[in-house]
Amino acid sequence: MEKNLFLKSNKIEKTTLFFDFLALALYIYVFFGLFSMLALPEIVDGRMRLDTLQFMLPVYKLLNITFDKYTMNTMITLDVLFMLVAMPMLVTNIKKLKTRTIYEIDSYTASAKFIQGIINLFSLNIVSAVLRIYNMFVLVKFVKGYNAKQFFKSIIPAIKAKFKQWTTKKEKIDESQLDEYSISIKKSIRRQTAVSAMRILFTYLFLIVMALIIIIPFYWMLITSLKDFSGSTSTNPAFFINISQMNWVNYKVVLTEMNFGLYIKNTVIVAIFSTAGTVVTTILAAYAFARIEFKGREVLFSILIMTMMIPGELYIITNFITVSKNGFGWVGMPTGENNYFLAMIIPFVTSISYIFFLRQNFKQIPESLYKAARVDGCSDFKYLMRVMVPIASPTIFTITILHIFSSWNAYIWPRIITGVGGLEGQQYWLISNALRDTAFVLDNGRVMYNLQIAASALVTVPLLIIFFMFRKYIMNGIGRSGTKG
Amino acid sequence: MADFIKNVKGFFNKVGTAIKKFFWDVRRKINNVRRRISNFLDKHNLNFANKFPGWAKALIYLSPALIVLVIFTFYPIINSFALVVYQNYNMTNDTITGYTIFGNFLTVITDESFIVPASHTGSSAVINTLIIVFISVPISVLLALFIAAALNSIKPLKNFFQTIYFLPYVTNTIAIGLVFAYMFKTEGGLVNQFLSLFGMDTEGLSWVESGAVYWRSMFVLIFYSIWSSLAFKIMVFLTSIQGIDKQYYQAAAIDATPRNRIFSKITVPLISPMIFYILVTSVIGAFKIYNAIVALFGVTGQPAGVDYNLQSIVMYIYKFIDGSNAGNLSVAAAGSLILFAIILVLTLVQMQVSKKRVHY
Repeated sequence: MEKNLFLKSNKIEKTTLFFDFLALALYIYVFFGLFSMLALPEIVDGRMRLDTLQFMLPVYKLLNITFDKYTMNTMITLDVLFMLVAMPMLVTNIKKLKTRTIYEIDSYTASAKFIQGIINLFSLNIVSAVLRIYNMFVLVKFVKGYNAKQFFKSIIPAIKAKFKQWTTKKEKIDESQLDEYSISIKKSIRRQTAVSAMRILFTYLFLIVMALIIIIPFYWMLITSLKDFSGSTSTNPAFFINISQMNWVNYKVVLTEMNFGLYIKNTVIVAIFSTAGTVVTTILAAYAFARIEFKGREVLFSILIMTMMIPGELYIITNFITVSKNGFGWVGMPTGENNYFLAMIIPFVTSISYIFFLRQNFKQIPESLYKAARVDGCSDFKYLMRVMVPIASPTIFTITILHIFSSWNAYIWPRIITGVGGLEGQQYWLISNALRDTAFVLDNGRVMYNLQIAASALVTVPLLIIFFMFRKYIMNGIGRSGTKG
Repeated sequence: MADFIKNVKGFFNKVGTAIKKFFWDVRRKINNVRRRISNFLDKHNLNFANKFPGWAKALIYLSPALIVLVIFTFYPIINSFALVVYQNYNMTNDTITGYTIFGNFLTVITDESFIVPASHTGSSAVINTLIIVFISVPISVLLALFIAAALNSIKPLKNFFQTIYFLPYVTNTIAIGLVFAYMFKTEGGLVNQFLSLFGMDTEGLSWVESGAVYWRSMFVLIFYSIWSSLAFKIMVFLTSIQGIDKQYYQAAAIDATPRNRIFSKITVPLISPMIFYILVTSVIGAFKIYNAIVALFGVTGQPAGVDYNLQSIVMYIYKFIDGSNAGNLSVAAAGSLILFAIILVLTLVQMQVSKKRVHY
């Protein structure tokens, strides 16, 4: 073990990560640059002429090079692909670099570096590619002790040996020499292996079929959102499309003409404020139910638990009266006096099920910790912030993400709230309402499915990105919350 | 060059220490003031913070949550019982014409398209909901159980499959519902295209558009509700299957127990509390189905150009508070109380059964 080689490899890795980050930033910059360059149809009488969208042949000019819309589509698609590859690679590499120890390095690490280098080469990140391949040589030297020349020499014999290993058959035992008992055992073993192989095969087949059923709507959504109008309404829609035919302009139309930029902004505002409120109120209430002793704690808590099974429809009727004219007057007032955001946020700044979930978590923290802190003169609030919250932070994080999801998906309450306001209310639509109630139709009444599905994808993709970033937290949180009930 | 870098580093270090020192100074001064105040309070016996009784402290911690809960959760429960006894409640003027005890309930029950099938559509909200509940819940629970068991039995690609099966949980119901409606389109829908691969005549085979028959639309709705509810169930079943003690399986392996026997005699009985819990919660969830119908068939629950209606109980209730044309909220309250009664009965059954039957 040569420690300085390991340290050298780590140093190279750090430099590579820096260049990876630069490349990622560049990809994002290029994406936004190209996306803003995309040409939209002309606006006539305040409405975009969407029927001309697919027949437009705009000419783009960048650095004195002119190119048509198909080249543009190809460029954006490739850029998105590069982003999709570079982002997870960067994150996983940073995680690995943090936790990697000298004992974990083996030849697989080196080959992984090689593959990543090739991927870098394909995504036009040449500096990282060169550094990664150099790093591979360093790791080869570290693991096997070969330098570059010896390494190249050793490749051919290694492949030959592997090939030999595959081609030579196992020695066959002459069965006539065995007694009857061993033959029967042999047969039964063979039968068992056959049965277990079949079982594994069928299990995987079942899982793959179910996974296809789950995944196909997502795939179909992404593909359709990039088709043009005639592609999305044809009687024989294509299952694969060429990357030069991917119309990224659909998303631009949805964001600007269909106003989805505004709706996403509204939803983000509602999600952020209601989530922040929920986290604060939930932590405080859960702490009170878990640690502070007061009369009627159990009674109050069981009342809260009982209200959990009352359907939300029951609340909505009265809440609608409460926030409208005869109550707080947040909605249903003359134009200009309404406050839709308050009406959409305030009813959702706390949640009984999260209080319950978090209390369970707080209860598991040993009480002796609390007593020790009290003896040392720590106030309740300080103890909560310094001890309880850090220990329960995974649960709090899960609650945060789940609440963001639920406010992102809220449909009925925003619909009722904004439905009262007529045209003014439309400015406060959240994305689910906009998805359902925006008319994606041409003047002749045909539905532009490509734009409708592009809007759906625009709503779904942020959720998927958050999910893939925090997969572990979310999945563990769901499993545990289900188990505890 | 190296010198230059050293100089730059030194400069930043200096700035950093200066900032730190400034903050520490401020902090020290604040602490000083705080100590003086507390000394003063102690001296004059004014320090109430240490004399707070438990309930007062609890009230401070609980108040943010409780205020919101009282206004938007407890008050609505009480108020909906009040709403039910109002006659002809007018929301815009906040006036009523009298009181009635069962009048609103009777209006709901005898209303066309709640229990009694409406004459012009031939379908009722309760029947629709019951069909959805009794078909989608058993299928989805069984399917989730099989998938969880299959996932538990494999090792390679387990995380990959688990992630894929979890995807429907994190999606927007409306968005994916629109995609489903697009996939089940009559002309150029993916499903019709797929069916025609097997030589089926898909010419004019409608699922969610005009020309579709009741059961085909219902099939799409049930398929979508199963698709979107599967993720949570698989996740919960998988966690509870993984929590089973390995010794049972080892004992079964020594006795060479067949696989299906292990599944039916060890796995299912040991997670039976969880199965029952999921069964009841998903029945409750299926009774409250709303977003899926809106996504697939529009806000009225009636696909364009068909003569039946797919509205559920919740949809029937929301018809009365739908935005600009708010109807009689008392009737809506009565409808939601009926829904509440159904859910209450189911929950009580769950409690009783899980106390008596499910014991492991």
